[in-house]
Amino acid sequence: MWQATFTKLGQTLLVLLLVSVASFSFLKLAPGDPVTIMLGSDYSKASYDQLTQELGLDQPVIVQYGHWLANFVQGDWGTSYITNQNIFELAVFQALPVTLTLAAFSLLIALVIGIPTGVMAALYRNSWVDVLATTLAIGGNAFPSFYLGIILIWVFGVGLGWFPTLGFVAPWDDFWQGMWHLALPAITLGAWYVGLIARITRSSLLEVMGQPYILAAKARGEPGWRVVWVHGMRNVLMPLVTVIGLQLGGMLRGAVMTEVVFSLPGLGMMITSAVLNREYIVIQAGIMLTGVLFVVLNLMVDQTYQFLDPRLRRRK
Amino acid sequence: MNQVSVLAQNIPVESSAEAPLLEVRDFSLRRKKATVLDRITLSLNPGETLGLIGESGAGKSTLAMALIGLLRAPEVEIEGSLRFRGTELTALKEADFRRLRGNKIGLIFQDATAALNPCFTVGKQIAEPLRRHLGLSASACRARAVELMQSVGIPEPRLRLDAYPHELSGGMQQRVMIAIALACNPELLLADEPTSALDVTIQAQIMELILDRVRALNSSAIFVLHDLALGAQVCDRIAVMYAGQIVEEGPSECVLNAPLHPYTQGLKSCVVELGMPTLTPIPGQIPPLDAMPNGCRFAPRCPKAQAICGEQRPEAHTRDERQVACWFID
Amino acid sequence: MSHALDLSASIQASSWRRRFLQPLMRQRSAVVGLVIILAYVLAALFAPWLATHDPTAQDLGAALQGPSAAHWLGTDSFGQDLYSRLLYGAQLALIIGFASVALGLVVGVAIGLAAGLIGGRTEWVLMRIVDGLLAFPELILAMAFMAVLGLGTENLVYALALSFVGPFARMTRGDVLQVKSQPFIEAARLMGVPTLAIIWRHVLPNVVSPILVQAGMRVSIAILLESGLSFLGIGVVPPTPDWGLMIAEGRGFITIAPWISGVPGVALAILLVALNLLGDGLRDAFDPNTQKDA
Repeated sequence: MWQATFTKLGQTLLVLLLVSVASFSFLKLAPGDPVTIMLGSDYSKASYDQLTQELGLDQPVIVQYGHWLANFVQGDWGTSYITNQNIFELAVFQALPVTLTLAAFSLLIALVIGIPTGVMAALYRNSWVDVLATTLAIGGNAFPSFYLGIILIWVFGVGLGWFPTLGFVAPWDDFWQGMWHLALPAITLGAWYVGLIARITRSSLLEVMGQPYILAAKARGEPGWRVVWVHGMRNVLMPLVTVIGLQLGGMLRGAVMTEVVFSLPGLGMMITSAVLNREYIVIQAGIMLTGVLFVVLNLMVDQTYQFLDPRLRRRK
Repeated sequence: MNQVSVLAQNIPVESSAEAPLLEVRDFSLRRKKATVLDRITLSLNPGETLGLIGESGAGKSTLAMALIGLLRAPEVEIEGSLRFRGTELTALKEADFRRLRGNKIGLIFQDATAALNPCFTVGKQIAEPLRRHLGLSASACRARAVELMQSVGIPEPRLRLDAYPHELSGGMQQRVMIAIALACNPELLLADEPTSALDVTIQAQIMELILDRVRALNSSAIFVLHDLALGAQVCDRIAVMYAGQIVEEGPSECVLNAPLHPYTQGLKSCVVELGMPTLTPIPGQIPPLDAMPNGCRFAPRCPKAQAICGEQRPEAHTRDERQVACWFID
Repeated sequence: MSHALDLSASIQASSWRRRFLQPLMRQRSAVVGLVIILAYVLAALFAPWLATHDPTAQDLGAALQGPSAAHWLGTDSFGQDLYSRLLYGAQLALIIGFASVALGLVVGVAIGLAAGLIGGRTEWVLMRIVDGLLAFPELILAMAFMAVLGLGTENLVYALALSFVGPFARMTRGDVLQVKSQPFIEAARLMGVPTLAIIWRHVLPNVVSPILVQAGMRVSIAILLESGLSFLGIGVVPPTPDWGLMIAEGRGFITIAPWISGVPGVALAILLVALNLLGDGLRDAFDPNTQKDA
């Protein structure tokens, strides 16, 4: 009974291991000798050898990997030599919450707008709502989020002055200030998702509404709104979650761009400035963290799917 | 079929004394200019069972859908009258019709696997009409659902209440479907090929169960079937449909034993019976809806067709207790 | 003999038309997308003749000008002609987009074929590498590769290509495994057809259409990533006429000269919409797995 769960867990661990190997190899592939970088331009042979030994770089690669992984798991991710900050704190306690907040808020906006639009488009096929949903789907999916962000800043930030144009206020410190600062970024990132969600909702609902069990619900005397929103939408949730899961990569892509446009101190911003500053150790932390995040999110989507579809659930 | 024959005891019905439960008069249904149902006239007394027999595409299921109000204007074009307990159904507001559905009129679907929502437990689906039409509380719904499941022969109903449809066998799913259709003690039960999606071994059981429940509740029932012999065994009366029309209608035994319409005769000779080696299929097939002949719709396939059959539609003649729509009743 | 060859060639041409062109042409939005893309391709091809200025020629005296007779779409903060930069930008975007997808496709398909056909330990190792690549979002992967490879147009192509290897490899392997299990492959093997001939004649044609559909959809992602990375400053380097760079440059002047980011931004958005329309059309026309939503 637990076999499937264990298999899944094993697979996930394997992928996490692969993520760590990839992140480790990244630093090995990175140009420049870390010892030279740390010592600066002026150093003696002796101090070079000493630091090499201290860093364990004279050991075989597999041992280095072991050390690195052990440190990583313990939260010892090193120190940024530009900001002198503990990288673990920077990435996990500062950057990650910003990115997650942005992503969650955007997804919420996209769901709140996308689902009703998709339902209306399905119920009133070929009406203006349907045309709007299709346009949103194609336009929103293709429009580069970094340019959309700029337009929003221009119109609503600078032009109308309704929203701040940059910066992040944590919603858990000051909820309304946080929401106010997040509004434009979340709309920017959410716009990409709205069309997708509307489109999937529309096509799945159209398919579901043609199923005999919908007719059966009507034959039981269920009112129209319940037939659509309860009997119909309950079955649309599964394809919807699948698509949201498949587009997680797109979500993270958009999040990076959005963070940079709006100067939000999230993971995307962290990695981007690290790449620009050639701070490979920070890039490595960023890669590792996004990799793990990606794997965990995918696993969560998978579990949600199991939870949503009783046919996949095992009996108690 | 022998198993079913026990059920075929006809219950005498004092017909004229009572007002009919359902009266269909000159009912036509058009979809995109094609006449799917053409001037259907039927009546059904309380406690009576009627079999709608015909090939697929004859319009039997469409008639059932129209009776339960799942096919209505403006989605389709409708003419004529459907009276249920004296109420004109075609003039009924959607909200009022909804109060009849699953309440006074129940419907059993052909394929229970497809007709049960995979995401809700069977208990929840049985409880739905109870809550909607009878206004029972959640706990009363559960108690009644258990009773209903028991009445349709589901073992350990209390355990099955929280099962999802896919966890039950096809036969059990159909029993659930029956429980849902009968939840509010409907006066009219519609059963659309209720056993054709099931294994042959349990078909008779399920048929027997439906009849049993219908009798126990003293409801009327319309069975949509494609098997004339089965229909005759199960129902008091038979209406044979062809291409959207009723071609012959009357007491089961008369229709089965002495069919008058050439189509009914053809259907009968299609029936394979033990010790009857030959099987004579009716040549051709039902013409497409947009290319219906002007006269008798069966004329192109009819062995007895004459010139008049292709020109004029035969009106229903009354012969004893039956109605037959044919120019040549011998 | 030559007659027979002619005949087979013409049959192939007509079957190509029947199998490829006609189903695609039935998708009206895909045709619209195709026409727009063709217009971009033409603009890119004839950029040297259509351009009115050198795309990298600076003229600080004419900086931040709106559209005029001299500069049709205005100038940026360095006085570079936006119209000319737009044309050369189309060239760059299309080259990077198609080149990176093509490269990623070749490497990915090779890995997928190798994994699917050889099987055993090779397959395990190859697919674990692919799993490792797929564990990251494309953008993060491309950013990491850019950090290793360094900035510049060529490196950007490599970085994007590397981030596309994973999906192509996994897909090809899946298709190969599916085709391999078909009875006709077994039959060919039993008839003594050499393995390479089986791959060439039977396996490849069967995996080609889903992979091409995938490639078509990837091009728009490639161009989005390309301009995005350049926008972030980790793609091509200035003063290369690149839309992402142009948008980034115009960002600071959005209130006084919105056309600087507007010109490349709108051009990019239209191209991406067109690529998506074509990609959806390709998928609907050739991928039996996804049903067209009615």
